[in-house]
Amino acid sequence: MKKNIFYYLIFAPALIVIVFLTVYPIVNVFHMSFFKYNYLSDTKIFIGLKNFKRIMGDDLFHTAFLNTIVFSVVATFIEVSLGIFLALLFYGQFFGKRVFMVMIIFPMMLSTMVISALWKTLYHFDIGLLNYVLRSIGLKPIGWLINPKIALFSIILVDIWQWTPFAFILIHAGLNTIQREIFEAASIDGANYFKTLIHITFPILSGQILLVILLRTIDTFRIFSKVYALTQGGPGNATETLTYYVYREGFTYFNLGRAATASIYILIVIAFISYFYLRNIIGEESV
Amino acid sequence: MSRTAMEKKGIIFWVLLIVILFLVLFPIYWIAITSLKYPVENISPVPTFYPHRVTLQNYLNVLEGGFFRNLYNSLFVSTFSTALSLTLSFLATYALVRFKFPLRLNYIFLIWVLIVKILPPIVLAIPLYTLFTSVHLINKLVGLVIVYQVYTLPYCLWMLFGFLKAVPIEYEQAAEIDGASKLKVLTSIVLPLTRGGLVATAIFSVIVAWDEFLFALLFIRNPDLLTLPLRIVNFITEYETLWGELMAIGLMATLPVLLFSGYVYRKMTEGFSMSLK
Repeated sequence: MKKNIFYYLIFAPALIVIVFLTVYPIVNVFHMSFFKYNYLSDTKIFIGLKNFKRIMGDDLFHTAFLNTIVFSVVATFIEVSLGIFLALLFYGQFFGKRVFMVMIIFPMMLSTMVISALWKTLYHFDIGLLNYVLRSIGLKPIGWLINPKIALFSIILVDIWQWTPFAFILIHAGLNTIQREIFEAASIDGANYFKTLIHITFPILSGQILLVILLRTIDTFRIFSKVYALTQGGPGNATETLTYYVYREGFTYFNLGRAATASIYILIVIAFISYFYLRNIIGEESV
Repeated sequence: MSRTAMEKKGIIFWVLLIVILFLVLFPIYWIAITSLKYPVENISPVPTFYPHRVTLQNYLNVLEGGFFRNLYNSLFVSTFSTALSLTLSFLATYALVRFKFPLRLNYIFLIWVLIVKILPPIVLAIPLYTLFTSVHLINKLVGLVIVYQVYTLPYCLWMLFGFLKAVPIEYEQAAEIDGASKLKVLTSIVLPLTRGGLVATAIFSVIVAWDEFLFALLFIRNPDLLTLPLRIVNFITEYETLWGELMAIGLMATLPVLLFSGYVYRKMTEGFSMSLK
């Protein structure tokens, strides 16, 4: 018995911190979502499900939801596709491979804020490098961050630049776990490059690719700092995302009740993603 | 040994490689040269591809403008949040590996921690903000150290769980037979055996904390307590085109982390992919 107390004692601190920082807030978010709760005026009135109805009918919330889905799906799709392409390109041995690969992960090592700062300068309408290049080859400049139709995709582009290396390295690592002999046998049997890809490489890699898709979906879904630094949700509401919506309701308008309710909608989506993620992870290493 | 079609590297390969390296490295080169240009050159409508007149003035301005203060804040927060997370998670994961708690607590705890890693932190931000305000931890670096546990603790728990699971139990049993206490076993046998894992976990945890933005934005108001990401974002939003200084501070803020590139690359390819996010 005395032996067991030791384990309880060393487990307790982490458990307490996790409960205070994650379990308590989530319970609290549910609680707050039933109140009209303004932090500044400190009024807290029970209003039942009114917050939920209100947000359901809020156009800005719809926009935020749609933008988040577009951002998450498009960014993940392109990052993973490029990652697969690069991994295939880098397969095998060649001169300087290790050095090139370390260079390629530089973007994901840079701080997100530094990357945002960099792209803010590149995207500048009048004196940015990208529009200069467009002008000098005779094209019209693009309002990268000021055209509502384009701004979201400009932020996606930044995410792609930053995180494709991540997809690349993980898929490359997966590719290298496949035994060379399998490819050799396929090539002896007369399978060409694309046949080998479709019938051998992709089926074996599918688990690893799915994992990368999930990791990138999870990460792009919580996009916040790039939006904050590059567009603040604008122009108009063109780059409003779910996280930004919660931020604005909670920390600009101090409508904590409504922010909490929006958080719950996010939690519902996360519950779906978690389900697939956990199934994937636990399937591989039993806890 | 014959090379398969996938391994052949022809001229197209090398052309593609150069294009890719250009796309990756040119923006980083751009950060460097922008930081070395005079403000006038930076806002010229015809960008220059190398600094026509090199200056270190941007760096001096940034250093005199309180960079060290921000650096100190960032160092303080990432060091202590990592130290706290490592300590908590080392103890907890050891218990989880060696002891079966009732009610399937081991399993539930680890799954919950995974879910926390998936959660967008903004979901926790509002209750945590009110909680931290009521215990006077808003606008304090210590408050950030604690709230960063939301990121670093789940991270460390999962990574260390993997390392500790791999430690053979025989050494501990032998030591216990020799009469060593549990605590003694933990500090003088288990700790040294997991040193490598602790270092790897610490590096990733520091990188996460170094880059954190959301809670820093919400919890810090005092200009003296801004961390580097906050300082950079203030620069972006306050000064439209002070790009030289912006890039100078960005480069200095990111250099310490960039030095870990080779290490991170090695760890990622060693298959810690699971714990990376």
